[in-house]
Parts: sequence; structure tokens; C-alpha cells
Amino acid sequence: MMNQITLWIKKQGHLFKKASWGLWFIAPPKDVSLDGYRIDKVIQYTDLVITIYFGIVILAMLYFVVKYRARPGHKADYDHGNSKKHVMATLAVGLLVFFSVDTVIETMSFRDLKEAFWNFPKGENVVRVEVMPQQFAWNFRYPGADGKFNTDDDLIPAQNQMHVPVGKPIVIQIAPWDVIHSFYIPNFRVKQDATPGMVNAMWFQALETGEFEIACAELCGNSHYKMKGYLTVDSQEDYENWLLSLAPEDDDEDEWDDWGDDEETAASDGPPADWGWAWKEIK
Amino acid sequence: MSEHHEQSFWSKYIFSLDHKVIGKQFLWLGLFFVLFGGFQALLMRWQLAYPEQPVPWWLLGDILFSGTGGIIDPDKYNALFTMHGTIMIFWAITPLLIGAFGNFVIPLQIGARDMAFPKLNMISFWTMVLASLVLLASYLLPDGTAAGGWTSYPPLSSPVGGIAGEGQTLWTLALTLAGTSSMMGAINYIITVVRLRAPGMTYFKMPLTVWGLWLTSILNAIFVPVIAAGLILLLMDRTIGTQFFISGGLATVDGGDPLLYQHVFWIFGHPEVYILILPAWGIVSDLLSVFSRKPAFGYKVTAIAMTTVASLSMLVWGHHMYTTGMSPLLGKSFMFLTLLISIPSAMFFFNWLGTLWKGSIKFDTPMLFAMSVMWVFGIGGLTGLYNATITADIYLHDTMFVVGHFHYTMAASVLFGSFAAIYFWFPKMFERKMNPFLGKLHFWVSFIPLNYVFFNMMVLGYGGHHRRIYDPSNYDFIKPMMWLNEYITWFAIALGLAQLIFVYNFIHSMIKGEKAEANPWGAATLEWTLEAPIPHGNFETVPTIYNGPHEYSNPKVKDRDWISQSEPISS
Repeated sequence: MMNQITLWIKKQGHLFKKASWGLWFIAPPKDVSLDGYRIDKVIQYTDLVITIYFGIVILAMLYFVVKYRARPGHKADYDHGNSKKHVMATLAVGLLVFFSVDTVIETMSFRDLKEAFWNFPKGENVVRVEVMPQQFAWNFRYPGADGKFNTDDDLIPAQNQMHVPVGKPIVIQIAPWDVIHSFYIPNFRVKQDATPGMVNAMWFQALETGEFEIACAELCGNSHYKMKGYLTVDSQEDYENWLLSLAPEDDDEDEWDDWGDDEETAASDGPPADWGWAWKEIK
Repeated sequence: MSEHHEQSFWSKYIFSLDHKVIGKQFLWLGLFFVLFGGFQALLMRWQLAYPEQPVPWWLLGDILFSGTGGIIDPDKYNALFTMHGTIMIFWAITPLLIGAFGNFVIPLQIGARDMAFPKLNMISFWTMVLASLVLLASYLLPDGTAAGGWTSYPPLSSPVGGIAGEGQTLWTLALTLAGTSSMMGAINYIITVVRLRAPGMTYFKMPLTVWGLWLTSILNAIFVPVIAAGLILLLMDRTIGTQFFISGGLATVDGGDPLLYQHVFWIFGHPEVYILILPAWGIVSDLLSVFSRKPAFGYKVTAIAMTTVASLSMLVWGHHMYTTGMSPLLGKSFMFLTLLISIPSAMFFFNWLGTLWKGSIKFDTPMLFAMSVMWVFGIGGLTGLYNATITADIYLHDTMFVVGHFHYTMAASVLFGSFAAIYFWFPKMFERKMNPFLGKLHFWVSFIPLNYVFFNMMVLGYGGHHRRIYDPSNYDFIKPMMWLNEYITWFAIALGLAQLIFVYNFIHSMIKGEKAEANPWGAATLEWTLEAPIPHGNFETVPTIYNGPHEYSNPKVKDRDWISQSEPISS
């Protein structure tokens, strides 16, 4: 019944859209990652329980407002609600919330962290990428044929262009050049701050090919809103071809021509010759 | 301490030592800044709904942005949200609830002649005025005011962060001064409550309003010095070339750490949320009892629950930093501690419902606002669960979801709590009544748009819309949501216009309102026993306290349904 009503209202979208709650019409961007469903699930469980508890509070309030409204002949009870029975009931409510909401959410979240988000993949299969955001662009780096970062054969694509193969775990290590940025890919439900002086890590895996937006989620200056990158998920073959196209023809520092473009207002002295870091092995 | 001699204009109204006058001074300051900060929100909303279109004349677009043809540029936009946040938290809500009502209500409700340190109280207000002047001066700088967000994370807020001009320096200085004012107030309130309670006024006979304000002051006294220290370090980074918070490519020496600032900021910043909300909880708990004509349900449990929340608030700051790459062990501990807050919160929500249960509920304006706090804080508190959850927060952190959530808790709950307080104590402050019809109208035309605005901000964030972006239409995944941005803006404008009703009612009632009797609400707390005008020194003789603060509908009291705390109940 509830579903039919929802469906009917959604069908009337063009009429209701502008006047009703946005919730009916807005969903998170399509999840194309291996583990994003875990985040959607914990959000959905929270949706459910908080709707129930909020509903109880509001229904009780409305019921009391009607039933116990001041009117001639009606008198309030003289009751401090401090009897043992009342205090026990209050405690019971506190514990009920703790066990029905907190422990469930915590169990789900800790399980997901252990099984997915903090369980970094290892092995040959893993694609490693270093990310260095700057005001106001994303720099990416791939290790090249020798499999090591900070060597001459590192592959550096154009700014704001990141490619990964579908179906393989991608591990990212990230540190910014100037101020704090945050690497955010809505379609993958991932976000990781990049803080100067720290190398942070995260991982994800794509289920579909396509092009997805990368946004900066931490205020980084006046062009923060334009700090947009693209994540292209390729088939394995396309990805390998793309990597080949990046192979350096000579050792010029052509890649750095983009540095200090007209958006940049930072007082930085320009790019470092060597922006990366040797890969930090994670235990 | 009781001074009944003639006073000059200056010592009576300007550099007054009377807590009631200082309370009103804070009230005016807070009301000015709530309108000023709110107006900036509307400008910001305009840009979000209609990116890079000229701000219309009725929002003063051609005056404020004359250089760019009425269009807000990205630097100005960043300044708008920075100052909106800063002003609403430190210059609007803090002076309203803590400065105005803390000052006005605490001594009257505990039966004291004044604050423990009246001169410190006066200095606290004038330090706040100085802070306000520094803050307002920053708008006049050629490069404009601060633009690093209300959190002002370095290195962005440091001299090498790329924000032009010295607005950020004045911002840091103004905030340090405002913090100093808060500290002076906090010390004063704590000592006043501890030392100056009237005979018989035990801790568990204090009104819950005083409990809330007292707990707030304790948090303020502990944590404002922490942020002040952080701000002074930031000020040194900005002015004398230190690099406490600069690291990475922009640093010229080793050892700076931007993450340190985030810890210092949030060790203060999370208690700050409770610093703002605790007085509102206390006021709501008392008002529900007054207007239900029934003792507050589980008074002691509510007081203890509020104390528990205040204590837990010291241990949860890390939930603002889940995405910074903190140690997994720390992250899990912070999540567990944060979720624990739901236990005491559920308990006093239950008690609020218990107070209404079997009451005789009257729907005066203060009651409407008090009950609406149950609604808005219900939503605000419950949606905090998403942000407390590490995995959900990975997706929702730094999105409009967070913006909607904290506006429900801080803006909606605290502002509606303040409105409840203003409508409730107005007759005692100004000896006149506010117009009840305009009051109720103000409530409904605020409540409905407010919910549309903040609920839909959460919806936008759920759709992935990140925050602090000048032009959201720059992203393909946000484009389908832009219609909602437009509608939020129009509802926000409606919310802003609704406040004009309040301004009119407030000023008109103050001058021409109906004269109020001493106890128009039939309330049991001490301030209502005093006849207007209350002299400097409040009580001719300090009263002795016999009853709790919520003696309503006591069957032993024959002719009325309340009895004051200072009247013995004859058996």
C-alpha cells in the first residue's frame, strides 16, 4: 500500500516536485563500486529506526496535545515522575534506544570497516595510484613498468584525469601540495582528506566502466568549487592502452606545463621537481 | 551590593553593573547579529539557486556587489558562508542564550542580588563589543573579510593559504576577543551558581534553565581556553611568521602540523554544540512544565542526563575527523562514545513527553516554540546518528547533509529555544506583554519554511551535493538537484521575512505593549515574585526557598495552580 502511494506520488512528479519534500525525488548518485552498498545499507537502516523513534515522539506529542489540552474542567495531574517505576521506565527507554539503534549501527559499521574499507587488498592484482591535489587541480601518478614510484618511468597523465581498470582493487595514497583537500567520488561513496604532512590511503573497486566526477570536498580556496576531476573506468584492455599512451617519450618536464594556471592564487613558488613519495607499505 | 542610590545615565545604561541591564545589552547585540548573519545566509542562498546571476535590488545586490554588477564573486561567496557561520554561532546564539538569558535569569532564579563579579560581567560585555567592532571592521578591508570557513582550517587560513588580505587576521583576533568575553562570563556564572544561591536553594531545587546555563558555563570555562590557544597560535602564524600549522609544500621549516589545529578546534568545537544547546534544553524543560501546569517529569533524571551529555561531549570531538585518516582504534572509540550520547538524550526526550502527559496544556507563544524544539531537535539529534557512523560519514561528511543536520541542532533548536525564552521573559524584562497573535503567527511562518529549508539541505547532501561550493551546477551529479536549491532559497527568504513580524512585535510591544502583571504565566520560579521595576539588587530581602521549581497543580495549594519556590506550602 505504502509503495503504491509512493509510486503514485512519484508518477505525479512534475506536479508535486516543486512543492513537496525533495526526499521523494532525490537519490544518491548511482553506486558503481564493490563496497558502496554497505554505506547505503547502514544509511537505510538508520533511516528506518530514526523514522520510527521520531514518529513515536511526534505521535505521542500530538496525542497529548489533543487529549490534555487546557479546557474548563480539566486539571493537570500532580506528579513529579520521580517514583522508582518512572525512573526505571526512563532508563529502559535509554537502553532500548542504545540496543536497537546504537549497537546495530555500530556492528554494521565496524563489520564493513573490517571487511572492506580498512581491509586493504594486497597482491599482484592491485592497481596503485598516487594522488597529489593542489589549488585547484588533481595530479595523478602511476608507477610505470618497474612497479615503483619516484622513478624515471613514472606515468603522469594530464591533470584531473584518472583512469582505472574495472573489477580490480585500486589503492590510492594521497597527500596535497599546498592546503587541505578531500578526494571525493560520489558514485563510489568514498572520501579521503588530503592533509599536508600526511600520506593517507584508501581503496575502492569499480563494477562498471564509465566516466565519473571527482570533487574536492574540503574548502581549499576561491576556486574550490571548480576543482573537478574525472575518473574513467576502462576495460582492462583500454586501461593498458591508456597507460601505454602515457609512456614518456623523453624526460622533459612537459607534464608540469599545467602548473600555476590562471586559477591559482596561491603564493606557492611552483611545483616541486619531485612531488611524489615512495609507496608507503600498509600493514 | 544592593545599591539604590541615583545613578547617572552612563553607569545605569552603558557601563552598568546590573546583571539585568547587561543581559539586555547582550540581547540587543545578539538580535542585531542574528539579523546581520541571517541576511548573509540569504545572499549565499541566492548564489546557490541562481549561480552568477545578479542579486536582486531587494537583497541590496546593486549596493553590496556594485563592482561586479550585482554578481557575487567566489571570494565574496566564501566570505559570506565564513561570516554567516562565525556570526551565528559566536555573535548571535552565544549572546542571546548565554549572554542575555544567562545574565538576566540566573541571579533572579537562584535568589541572588547580582552576579558574583558585577564588574567582570560589565567587562565581559564590553570585550564582546570590542570583538564585534574588530569583526565588523574586517568587512571594510580592501580585500574583504575572512574567507576560510567558520572552521578556518590552516594552511588555507594561514598567510600562505592563498586568501588575499588581512580579513582572516582580524577574524582570528575578533574570535579570540569573543572567547575572552565568554570565559569571563563563564567564570562569573559558575561562581554565582555555586556561591550565591539563596538559603534552601539546593542544586536539585534549581530550575532546569539554571542547570543548563551552569553546565554550559562549565564547558565554556574548560574549552574556550583551548580554542583561544589554537587561535593565538594561528594568529602568530599569520602575523609573526611562525609555522605551527603549516606543513607540506608550503612549509619552509619542519614540524608544523595542520591536523593539530583540527584537533584543537574540535576539542572545543564539539562541546561548543552542547554549550549552545544545553541552555535551550533547560529552558524547554522548564517551559513545558509551566505551560502543562504540571511538575517537570523526572526532574532529577533530566538534570543528571544533561550533566551526562555535557560530560560525554568532552570525549567525542573525533567524529568530526573520520575522513582525516585517523587511527582506526581512535575512530572506533569516538564512534562508540558518540553513540552513547543517545542514551541520556532519549531519557530527557522521554521526560519531556512525560511532562506533557496528563498535563493541562496551554498553547501560549513560548510553549509553541518550546514544543517545536522537541520537533527540530528530534530531527537534529537523530540525524546525528549518520554522522556518528564512520562508514555513513565517509559518504556524508562535508556534504549539505551535515549542513542540514547542524542547522537543525544549532540553528533551529537553539534559535527556537531563544524565541521561547524571549517570549517567556519579555514581560519580566520590559514590563509589557508581546502581542500573542503576532507571536503565534511568527511561530507558524517560521516553523514551516525552516523545516523545508533544513530538511531539504539534508536531502541534497544525501544526493551527494558537497558543501561550500560557489556554483553547484558545475557538477553533473548536482545538476538534477538544482531545482531543489532554488526552492530552498525561496523558503529561506520566507523564513527571513517572517522574522520581520518578530522585530515589529518586539519593538512595538516594548513601547506600546499591554502592561504586564508580575506573574503573567503563573510560573513558580523566583523571578516572577518580583514586582516591576526590579531594582538594582533584585531582592529587598533574600528569599528562603521551600519548594522545587515546578510546583504546579499541587492539591495542597487551594486558590491557584502554582506556588512560588519561596512560599511555604501550608498543610
